[in-house]
Amino acid sequence: MLQMNNVSKVYQTEMVQTHALRDFNLHVNEGEFIAVTGPSGSGKTTFLNIAGMLEPFNEGEYLLDGVDVGRLNDNQRADLRNQKIGFIFQGFNLIPDLNLYENIEVPLRYRGIKANERKRRIEQCLEQVGLASRAKHIPQQLSGGQQQRVAIARALAGEPRFLLADEPTGNLDSLMARQVMELLEQINRDGATIVMVTHDSELARRAPRNIQVVDGQLADFTLYQGAQTIKTASGV
Amino acid sequence: MFIHYLDLSWRSFKRTPLVSFLMVLAIAIGIGITMTSLSVYHMMSADPIPEKSSQLYSVQLQTMDDGSTWWTEDNMPLQLTYQDAENLLNAPTSEKKVAMMRTGFSVYLDSDKIKPFIGNARMTTPDFFSMFNLSFLYGGAWSKEQENSAAPVVVITKEINDKLFAGQNSVGELIYLDDASYQVVGVINHWPLNIKYYDLNNGAFNQVEELFMPFSLIKAKELVSWGNSNGWKHENTPTFADKLQSEQVWIQFWAELNTLEQKKVYQNYLLAYMQEQQKRGRFNRKELEYKLRDVNQWMQYNNVVTEDNKILVGLSFMFLGVCLANILGLLLAKFLRRAPEVGVRRALGASKRQIFLQHLVEVAMLGFIGGMLGIVLAQLGLMGVGQSYDYYENLATMDLTMLLSAPLIAITTCILAGLYPAWLVCKTNPAIYLKSQ
Amino acid sequence: MLEIKPIFNALCRSKVGAVLLLIQIAITTAIVSNAAFIIQDRISYLNQETGYPEQDIFKFNVMTFGTDINLSQQFELDESMLRKMPGVVDAALSSSIPLSGSGSASSFNLKPAPQEGLSVRTAYFFIDDHAINTYGVNLIAGRNFTEDEVLVTNEITQKRTNVTIVTKALLDELYPDGDGLEKIVYFGDLPLKIIGVIGNMKGPWLKDSKPDNLAFIPYIKAASYAQVAVRTKPGQRAAVMKEIENAMLENYSKRVINNIKGLDELKNEYTAQDRLMMRMLIVLITILVLITALGIFGLTLFNISKRTKQIGTRRALGARKSAIVSYFLVENALICSLGLALGVVTAILLGKMLMQYFSVAALPPSYIAVTAIAVFLMSLLAVLAPAKRAANISPSIATRTI
Repeated sequence: MLQMNNVSKVYQTEMVQTHALRDFNLHVNEGEFIAVTGPSGSGKTTFLNIAGMLEPFNEGEYLLDGVDVGRLNDNQRADLRNQKIGFIFQGFNLIPDLNLYENIEVPLRYRGIKANERKRRIEQCLEQVGLASRAKHIPQQLSGGQQQRVAIARALAGEPRFLLADEPTGNLDSLMARQVMELLEQINRDGATIVMVTHDSELARRAPRNIQVVDGQLADFTLYQGAQTIKTASGV
Repeated sequence: MFIHYLDLSWRSFKRTPLVSFLMVLAIAIGIGITMTSLSVYHMMSADPIPEKSSQLYSVQLQTMDDGSTWWTEDNMPLQLTYQDAENLLNAPTSEKKVAMMRTGFSVYLDSDKIKPFIGNARMTTPDFFSMFNLSFLYGGAWSKEQENSAAPVVVITKEINDKLFAGQNSVGELIYLDDASYQVVGVINHWPLNIKYYDLNNGAFNQVEELFMPFSLIKAKELVSWGNSNGWKHENTPTFADKLQSEQVWIQFWAELNTLEQKKVYQNYLLAYMQEQQKRGRFNRKELEYKLRDVNQWMQYNNVVTEDNKILVGLSFMFLGVCLANILGLLLAKFLRRAPEVGVRRALGASKRQIFLQHLVEVAMLGFIGGMLGIVLAQLGLMGVGQSYDYYENLATMDLTMLLSAPLIAITTCILAGLYPAWLVCKTNPAIYLKSQ
Repeated sequence: MLEIKPIFNALCRSKVGAVLLLIQIAITTAIVSNAAFIIQDRISYLNQETGYPEQDIFKFNVMTFGTDINLSQQFELDESMLRKMPGVVDAALSSSIPLSGSGSASSFNLKPAPQEGLSVRTAYFFIDDHAINTYGVNLIAGRNFTEDEVLVTNEITQKRTNVTIVTKALLDELYPDGDGLEKIVYFGDLPLKIIGVIGNMKGPWLKDSKPDNLAFIPYIKAASYAQVAVRTKPGQRAAVMKEIENAMLENYSKRVINNIKGLDELKNEYTAQDRLMMRMLIVLITILVLITALGIFGLTLFNISKRTKQIGTRRALGARKSAIVSYFLVENALICSLGLALGVVTAILLGKMLMQYFSVAALPPSYIAVTAIAVFLMSLLAVLAPAKRAANISPSIATRTI
């Protein structure tokens, strides 16, 4: 599903070079639920941005579903992102002017899906996250947990096979965090591959596979409660 | 997708109403000012007879002796002497031609119902009507015979016909002009002419005459010109006959030359005519000179569009430039503030092109609204212009071209202003805006 | 004193916004200084002394179609009737009307035609001995025509007039040594003795290259088309103008009286284009300055909202309100100075261009200087309000995470 081989990312500022990722190697298989942890500044977010094709990388090779991302141009990357990847952010990143329905509609529009099909999917997703009755509300009228559920619904609407979550519970209290986590687990069971960046070790432990990023490198990985069998343990 | 972008643009407009309004206002004012001066310019420089402006030629002859000067750019008198006009009129060439002069009469009927009034008259030859595309409501032009015999006939405008004859067919009726009666032979339709290009002596925006009469009446009735009479040497002209034979210029002359062939023949004729006249002691020059200018060249040569208008149009466009810089600054600020949202959209799969288009649609919408408002402002401006100058009333309007070009210029300007901000916002790295809001 | 260098560095980082403002200020300076010069030029043109009490003089046209009278006699009857009308000071048949844009001009020569000699172009009026009083102009030397000197005729005659009254401008051009009074000039081959000089009196064309050259020639040619000038007592012109048509028609009815217009109205018509140009330029530069001010205002507002947190932090670190205000003022002054420098160059170039392609005189540097100062002050004013708002940002904002 996702394969990074010796990926490096260097930020160049006027004075210094910062290696955000250094010879980063990771294989993620179809259907996995992976939690990525690591100290602040270790490169977690860089990894996620590269995985989501939001940022280019300097060296190495990144295959997503067999496609060599490094060879795609910007438009192709946008299309691939639109079709295969769903994003969930710590800050929810809902567009404040649009109501819930319209927020979820955004990626579907970019994919060029017809209006009635859009409607069907949006309603289904809102149903899935339990906010069907609030379709016309704008984000401000919802609690943080609800907003994050909308963000998840938006990520799911495109029926992505790959979900990237950046601290999805970072701005939520523990009760809401648990609900969001349960939702993600449910989505994973339904077949989506999830990579979740978090600094919450308790949350991380609920994921079947944990990896840790330190200084831009994959430092460690642990397998908890073998809910799913890892066929290939690659990386390191 | 376009409709969707429009929807987004409208939402964005409503989200920052003050800034949006400022931008629209800047564009509207810029367009308003530019359109006001451009409209006047456009109406002044518009071809008054596009279907045949390149076939109608004003004829100028260099009648002055060597060493004399005129104030025109090419040192040529603007009008012809009476004798030259008469000779050219009798030329054995096939083209349509017209000699003419403006004068005036007191107009009255053989009854007390209408108070006598002053009527402006054009003394001209019968080809005038077909050459300058006038159409008749009743009757028609006078005949060649009537022209040659200085018959007391007159063609009147629809306006005069309404006034004197309540709009009835007045062909055959008599009207009194000064001390004699004249028979109406035709009534012309309303002739809306913004620029009186056929005779610019009394100002380019003067009214068209109300009466049209045979040129031969000038001699018969000893009519004086209500336009310019100019001389270049001292001549004693105590009698009217002296004046007709003098070197004073006071007659306008036009020829209709439909083909290059015809023009060539006419040019040769003019040269031959001047050589012929030299034998009689006129055209005392080393080099014989004539000028044939078509309608548009004639208007340019006579500076119908004044310097002031040109300066105003230039300054207005500079003004529009300032508005553009203004809008560019505001757009830049507005779009860059929206970078986080663009980041989300990019993450959700929007391509750069889609983001770019979305923002261009937004500026185009601002341009459209601004352009529409600009038209309103331009109308106000033109109202002001029209009021300040009687002659401008007809000119201070926007025709269809101007009405359509206002939003077009506005949108183009806005898109020009929006290109850079839109490009900037679509190329920003989405990742940096996603981490936290 | 003030931290110019960091401000400058900050400006360099957001250069597009600064450059835009700079361009606006530059173009504004260029347009305003040139337009102001043209406006000033028109104002002095429109307000020049014409030499006439314009408010008290009016003219009308007479177009006679009746043939049962002697025109010369009729005009004499008309004139004496007009002069007796209540409110009227004097009236005279005048072949052309001053300031009206239509009239006759010829050259006055020192030798009779066809001999060649000094020749001066001048406008002339055929008018009688009431000219000076009717037009209310000032005879500064010599004398008026006598009644006998006025030739009245409507037939071809060999009898010729032989005197003239000229303006000082014309006299000085003909006789630069100042000894022209009582001397002869030739109107074609007709000798005329200059018997009177009038101080200031404009001819029919204010835009003429010689607007001050005008001569009265005592000759009345009775024709079916004539113009009459009338001077009334101050404040009574409107009333007389209303009466005039009936009074004239009562005297003799087979004629048309029209074009009853005041001298000031004629001048307004003649100068309509200039007034229009002046007004449009005034509107243009007023709005232009407003738009530029608004642009500065808007951009400063945006800059402040972008830097809200930074300003809060500065305040938290001990910056005084005045320091915040002066930060924005100095920032603006920097941009504005650069813009003005560019604007001065643009203004000079624009002035040169206008001079080259149009008949606009050279732009005096004082106009650029005054405009530059005005634009500078305007920009400071535009910044002041948002800067004060910025100074009121609470330091506590620094501790929040928005």
